[in-house]
Amino acid sequence: MHIRKRYNYTGYLYILPWIIGFLLLQLVPLINSFWYSFTNFQLLGDPKFLGLENYKKIFTADPTFLQSLKVTSYYVLIAVPLKISFALVIAIILNQNIKGINLFRTLYYIPSILGGSVAISVLWKYLFMNQGVVNNLIGQVGFKAVDWLGDPRYALGTISLVTVWQFGSSMLLFLAGLKQIPVSQYEAARIDGAGRMRIFWQITIPELSPIILFNLIMQMINAFQDFTSAFVITQGGPLKSTYLYGLMLYDQGFKFFKMGYSSALSWILFAIILFFTSLTFRSSESWVHYGDSL
Amino acid sequence: MKKTLVLLLIAALAMGTVFAAGSKEAAAQSGPITLRLSWWGGDSRHTPTLKAMEAYTAQNPNVKLEGEYGGWDGYYQKIVTQIAGGTAADIIQIDQPWLAELASKGDVFATIDSSMVDLSQFDADFLKNYCTYNGKLLGLPTGTNVNTFIVDANMLSSFGIDPNTKWTWENIITEGRKINQKDKTAYFSGATPDLMRYWFEIYIAQLAGAVVDNNKKVAFTQAQGTEAFTYFKRWFDEGIVAPFSQTSLFYQKFQENPSWINGKMATSWTWVSSMDKDIGARKMETRQFPVMAGAKNSGVLMRPSQIFVVNNNSKNRSEAIKVLNYLFTDAQALELLGLARGIPSTTVGRSVLAQKGMITTMAEKATNEGIAQAGLPQSVYQMNSEVIQVMQDVIDEFGFGKLTPAEASAKLIKNLEATLATL
Repeated sequence: MHIRKRYNYTGYLYILPWIIGFLLLQLVPLINSFWYSFTNFQLLGDPKFLGLENYKKIFTADPTFLQSLKVTSYYVLIAVPLKISFALVIAIILNQNIKGINLFRTLYYIPSILGGSVAISVLWKYLFMNQGVVNNLIGQVGFKAVDWLGDPRYALGTISLVTVWQFGSSMLLFLAGLKQIPVSQYEAARIDGAGRMRIFWQITIPELSPIILFNLIMQMINAFQDFTSAFVITQGGPLKSTYLYGLMLYDQGFKFFKMGYSSALSWILFAIILFFTSLTFRSSESWVHYGDSL
Repeated sequence: MKKTLVLLLIAALAMGTVFAAGSKEAAAQSGPITLRLSWWGGDSRHTPTLKAMEAYTAQNPNVKLEGEYGGWDGYYQKIVTQIAGGTAADIIQIDQPWLAELASKGDVFATIDSSMVDLSQFDADFLKNYCTYNGKLLGLPTGTNVNTFIVDANMLSSFGIDPNTKWTWENIITEGRKINQKDKTAYFSGATPDLMRYWFEIYIAQLAGAVVDNNKKVAFTQAQGTEAFTYFKRWFDEGIVAPFSQTSLFYQKFQENPSWINGKMATSWTWVSSMDKDIGARKMETRQFPVMAGAKNSGVLMRPSQIFVVNNNSKNRSEAIKVLNYLFTDAQALELLGLARGIPSTTVGRSVLAQKGMITTMAEKATNEGIAQAGLPQSVYQMNSEVIQVMQDVIDEFGFGKLTPAEASAKLIKNLEATLATL
């Protein structure tokens, strides 16, 4: 009895930093923001309770909300599948036994280390602007310059490429997953005369499906909340064609200082992410195969 | 025994932050006074300001001054967050439009009166129009900042345009279009979407007095709005200004556009305070803005370059105001600061710099031209960040060709009225 109690305390001691961090830096702000979403909190001054006024305004009288929701949905639909398939393809290539493969693995991971940083976004801007590197290159081969970031039709796609380019962490997970697939399965399939594509669809994809699910959910959550590249490169323009949800949250909160309204927007985003995450989880029962059930 | 020890440890860890905060406050009350100053700027502002602060500490050893400085990006967000969190510096440099925006939300700035600072050194109208909120003087203007029209005289000449042209709204088009006619990649104006908004505001000010007046009302009519948009449509149609698809990437940063840097754009609207940064390595001159016959208001803006305010939460407000008094009126400080914040707003400041030959002729000429042309101050509602966003959104749609002049005017009026009703 005596010993067990002491162990408990020691355990709490170990996780105390996390508990304090969680309570002060996550739980309290979480509860606060939920409360603020029903007020007109403006950062300075005392918040006034408004009831559901903020939510009502968002759904009935805010055209930028719809625009930004549309842009964000497109963004998630473009960036997430592209990024995951790209990561998978590269992982399969890097799973081969080639000389110096570790060097390539490191090289392909570098973009993810640089990540969604401001420096990369600035670099992207200079690559894709009107007189940028990309237009120079395609100009050399005789194509007309394209306003990659200035034309409302292309800007979101160009921004999505920044995300796709950071495929490293998904790729590493795929690579680890590929290593787990027993070679015997491939050998058996080959002896039975299965072709490359057949092996890929019948063995690799089902074996990797738990990792695909994990990557899908993580990348989806990240994409819904993305902010940096759109903020630094286009500031939401041209014509709000890259006005991601995160950017709208920031503008309402830190440009207009309507913290209450911004909190309401973030709870709506939370609900959206929760919905799509649980939808994905639900669907996973039909397409994700865990090793022990095979 | 061990149990008690562990419990004590947990308590100590948990209380650590509380104790740390407590001991810090105690130290602030006794011993030397520490004052924090925050400002934005570049090295040409940081270095002189730090030197002037050092000089003050040398004269007043009981006061320790700490500078918190950085660039413009995110500065406003930082300041507002700090004020809200109670961690703002004692002395804060703010931009003029923020004074009303922040003061309207509470007593965030200390009131300054003539017993603390020699206010006769400042232009009385300037203090009243730009630094006062609800009858209280809340800040001191660093310098006078005016709009200026910068032109690349050599570039104009090379396209057969007289660089000494006195600009009118009409000859901007009839002369300016020569540039794009000869070189499809070159333009008369370097305007980005945000600068087109400033041009629109000037035009409307001359037509109607203001976009939004002091009574929180839209001050122009549908017809006047249409007239202004019809005029600026010609800027796009006649190649006076580059299409938005090429310039929108440089929103609020026109000076980073390679076309501007490489001398493919001849002129721009700017503030005297940021003129040097905007001109960069180019050689440019300043001109006066076009003013239409019978203009109600030139629309040329004049306001303090920045304003220094004292945090109302500061424990040492009177000491902080003493520091401000030093920075604004002491000959040594003024010499050290030089033109770090534009041409000084105090009489003694200007005479010290004039004696030392430190006022550059270009800045002086531009400031004098601007003051001569300056119109009425904009209403606080027109400077409101949400109102600015409404104007910008409509101008973006118009510039991308999604709205005709009449549609743009109608949409602008409608959206402005909706936003003004919520302020």
